[in-house]
Amino acid sequence: MTAPWLSAMTAPNTLVAAGGVAAVGFAAGVVGSLALLRKRPLVGDAAAHATLAGVAGGFLATGRRDLPTLLAGAFVAALAALGVLVLIRRFTRTRDDAATGIVIGVSFGLGIALVSGLPRWGLAGSGGLEQFLLGHAAAITGRDAAVLAGVSLAAVLVVAAAVKEITLVAFDAAFAAAGGWPVDWIDALVAALVAAMVVAGLPAVGAVLVTALVVIPPVAARLWTDRVAAMLMLAGLFGLVAAVVGTLVSATRPGLATGPLVVLSAATIFAVSLVVVPRRRQEGS
Amino acid sequence: MGSAPHAAAPLLEFHDLTVAYGGKPVLWNVDLTIAEPCLFGVIGPNGAGKSSLLKAALGLVPIVAGSVRFLGLPLDQVRGRIGYVPQRETVDWDFPVNVMDVVLMGTYGRLGWFRRPGRQDRDFARECLDRVGLADLAGRQIGRLSGGQQQRVFLARALAQRAEIYLLDEPMAGVDVRSQEQIFRVLAELEAGGSLVVVVHHDLRTAAEWFDRVALVDRRLVAAGPTAAVLTPENLRRTYAGQLDVLDEIGRAVAARGRTP
Repeated sequence: MTAPWLSAMTAPNTLVAAGGVAAVGFAAGVVGSLALLRKRPLVGDAAAHATLAGVAGGFLATGRRDLPTLLAGAFVAALAALGVLVLIRRFTRTRDDAATGIVIGVSFGLGIALVSGLPRWGLAGSGGLEQFLLGHAAAITGRDAAVLAGVSLAAVLVVAAAVKEITLVAFDAAFAAAGGWPVDWIDALVAALVAAMVVAGLPAVGAVLVTALVVIPPVAARLWTDRVAAMLMLAGLFGLVAAVVGTLVSATRPGLATGPLVVLSAATIFAVSLVVVPRRRQEGS
Repeated sequence: MGSAPHAAAPLLEFHDLTVAYGGKPVLWNVDLTIAEPCLFGVIGPNGAGKSSLLKAALGLVPIVAGSVRFLGLPLDQVRGRIGYVPQRETVDWDFPVNVMDVVLMGTYGRLGWFRRPGRQDRDFARECLDRVGLADLAGRQIGRLSGGQQQRVFLARALAQRAEIYLLDEPMAGVDVRSQEQIFRVLAELEAGGSLVVVVHHDLRTAAEWFDRVALVDRRLVAAGPTAAVLTPENLRRTYAGQLDVLDEIGRAVAARGRTP
């Protein structure tokens, strides 16, 4: 006889979901590292909070609620939020952090209003969208997991192709621009990759906490290494471990949301890194 | 003007250049021609627009009026022939790269999209590091260098660009005397090799001994030419005094410009 929690963890559908979420965790760590190096760790936050409205919008526009449709809506909303952020920065004198706060608040408010409002207005089949708030890995099917893994693989391949250009811009944007590199477009590419991974993390981790998946593993990885390539790999690895642990643990009890457990796993990795990595290294001298 | 560029086109030419940030002018009507390879110093007080002159030349800040030409050509046709050393404080020296990584960035322009530096590029980057006296620090994280060493890494990166025209923004700022001498020696070698080297510089004492030609800048061009002829007490007084009057005058002029369609 195996313990019930162990059989819940090793159930086939749990393992399939964990596989998809693992791929997302890896890619989110890699992509999040680039945003962190560019000193824009909150790009993911702005994108994440807009996804909920996009999920509702995707459902409203198509009447379908399969995962790819909803995530496509979320991706459009995330890009729109980042676009608004760029416009606010360019045409007003609002500070960067204030502009981010505005976009986060407004888009999240809209999302909450939609996912909680639609069922009450009697829209058939609109219930349950709020599970994208905190994430619910158990709802991920084999086909969903394949989609998430595909998106993750694509993001990692784009990074592998353009890591030289992205690193150049992150380290010294003025030098890159003087050399003729399209800095704005490379920044947009990084923002779009972050948005894609935030959206891919949505089913398992949820809109509120998915930012942590693109921020905490990179910050932890940075403690261990002084090279970009190693940082990307390590952040990917940390993200993968956090995603898998969170998904498996949440499977042991019916009521456990996946998102908080993934974030707590990532935070544990960060805390252990802080303790284990010698202070001399952390101070960079 | 307007004819095809010929061999005798000046290396660098600012024509009636005006630069402003958000309606605030930083440079006004600069007309300056550097015809021949030389060590050229851009001198002036803090906030005089010296850095903006370089940044405008490189397309990093918007030009309100006027134009810049390199070798008689617009910037986009000559980027690969220009080396640039930004101010050291503009980057995060805690970035996770080592000395070699930074110098290799100088080869990226030639490599283009997606191609990685190969063995030849690494060998060349090592040569560039050797020229600035940092060959044995290639593997060191850049945050663990002194200010002078960091500046020399930036210089090595510019050398790796294999340029004909080098633009350096305050390369001597916050740098120890040994590094200053080393940097200056490399710049003199570049000039001897036929390159134009334009240096934004704030130290008047060293300016006189280092540069063949200088421009005195204080939001406008005060004077330009051979160092001895330009660094006169009268010119220096005009450059370093009376900044407020000039500011007001330019401010009014830009405001007036903004109103007319």
